[in-house]
Amino acid sequence: MKLLSLPERLGLVNYRNQAKSDIKPHIKVNTDICNSTCPHKATTYTCPANCYTIDEKNVVHFQVEDCIECGTCMYACDQGAVSWEFPDPEIGRGVNWNFG
Amino acid sequence: MDEKFDCIIVGAGVAGLSAAMTLARNNMKFLLIERGEFAGAKNVSGGVLWGNDLAKLVPEYWKEDGGWDRYINHRRLSFMDEESCFTIDFKSSHFNEPPYSGVVVLRSKFDRWLAEKVQEAIDESDFAMDSFIATNILVEEILFENDKAVGIRTGDEKFYADSVILAEGVNNLLTRQVGLQSDYVPAAHVLTGIKEIIRFDQKKLEDRFQLREKSGMSNEFVGFATDGVEGGGFLYTHRDTLSVGLVLGVKDLREKNKKPQDILNKFKTHPVIADMIEGGEIVEYSAHIVSSGDKRIMPKKLYKDGLLVCGEAANLLMNAGKAIQGMDYAMRSGILAAETIAKSKEKNDFSENALIEYENALSESYVMKDINNFQDAVHLLHDPVMTQKVPNLICDFGRNFFTIKNEPTKKARTMLNDSVKKHASWWDLMKVGIKGGKAL
Repeated sequence: MKLLSLPERLGLVNYRNQAKSDIKPHIKVNTDICNSTCPHKATTYTCPANCYTIDEKNVVHFQVEDCIECGTCMYACDQGAVSWEFPDPEIGRGVNWNFG
Repeated sequence: MDEKFDCIIVGAGVAGLSAAMTLARNNMKFLLIERGEFAGAKNVSGGVLWGNDLAKLVPEYWKEDGGWDRYINHRRLSFMDEESCFTIDFKSSHFNEPPYSGVVVLRSKFDRWLAEKVQEAIDESDFAMDSFIATNILVEEILFENDKAVGIRTGDEKFYADSVILAEGVNNLLTRQVGLQSDYVPAAHVLTGIKEIIRFDQKKLEDRFQLREKSGMSNEFVGFATDGVEGGGFLYTHRDTLSVGLVLGVKDLREKNKKPQDILNKFKTHPVIADMIEGGEIVEYSAHIVSSGDKRIMPKKLYKDGLLVCGEAANLLMNAGKAIQGMDYAMRSGILAAETIAKSKEKNDFSENALIEYENALSESYVMKDINNFQDAVHLLHDPVMTQKVPNLICDFGRNFFTIKNEPTKKARTMLNDSVKKHASWWDLMKVGIKGGKAL
């Protein structure tokens, strides 16, 4: 069987409010912590949707668009950089599982 | 709305819906609030609902086509190294009679179906017009008066009730907000579940896995499956799809610097898994945190004045090696929470003194008995000897045992000794044997 890349896999996920540009994120990340004192930057490899990325200068970036609300970053980060707060469903973006 | 509910339930997953069904049957006036577009929209599970509590909630559920996919009559536990798979395989017709001892479900379908059943129960209750399942609503805050939970706030709106049941799942932000769970839950006690739904022609799936009508198979994997990370793999047969996935310890992923999606791809290339999934089409990729079953992350207590916590919000989930159980615990804890609320209503007492009955009932139930009895097994499964060395030596033994070379064959005992020496030591095995003996 053909193995899918992560973008191909995420292409199968059904998101709410996908077209909206003014969505309110449910995760806030203090990337200053990631980029100064964090010894492992674990969110950049443990997030199953790759919402946390690291560039060639070793700088951590976060984007919420692909988030599938699994919660992994909330536990993988032990530095206090990640906080979760769900917004009203109408202004938030998030998964709508077809199978689950 | 001015009028007060008997109870507000937060979360329409298995726990919340089971609580709602029980409240409806007890003629209670309640509001069940779900943040997703429908019950199940936000929910992911590995796939098997164990036990037969479902039959208590929906009598003769098996006569209906909706909700569940297949009953399990074939169970497998596989030890893997990179080229082999040594499997304990048990299939029996004694699993064929309802109420079954396990059914495979997809949550987006199952929870939606169960919500319809709850609505039917509401319609038959005294509060057909006054109890509601409300979707698309986020509960932002639990309201307190004199330290007693009295309702919830969503946006500018407030809803009041004698009691609140939190059934919000493992990422329990509200349980943390009310102080029953600490704000930071350590990574050592949670795992990331990650899976793909793979679709087949139904006939092809049934032929491949020897399925008859609604019979199904569950297969758990240890060893190579998780690429050195603590956890395990699973494969379950649905109606015309497979759930194929892994649960991976978050602390171990962090320490070993591994990506869950890469490990899943590697798992799928294992020759045994590759043969099972060949020809299918991936139709969904999902992930969700699950608890480890370690009691140390359970909320300090599961009640407060006017408030109860159930399901995975209470971290009720366990993998003791035999099965990954959680939805059955969610169901039973939801039922027990609602029964406690019904008794509190009779006494008109929703204080801690009355609601502690829920924790007592849960302790007396199989849920906490299992969690207490199998703590050692949970810890044993986190032991690298169990997840790495044992699967390797079992597969090595299997390869020697089943290879025929037209040479003098060693006795099985000698082969076993060779495999043990190659991959572990008798001392390693003694240690896990003693721990295992204690655990089981």
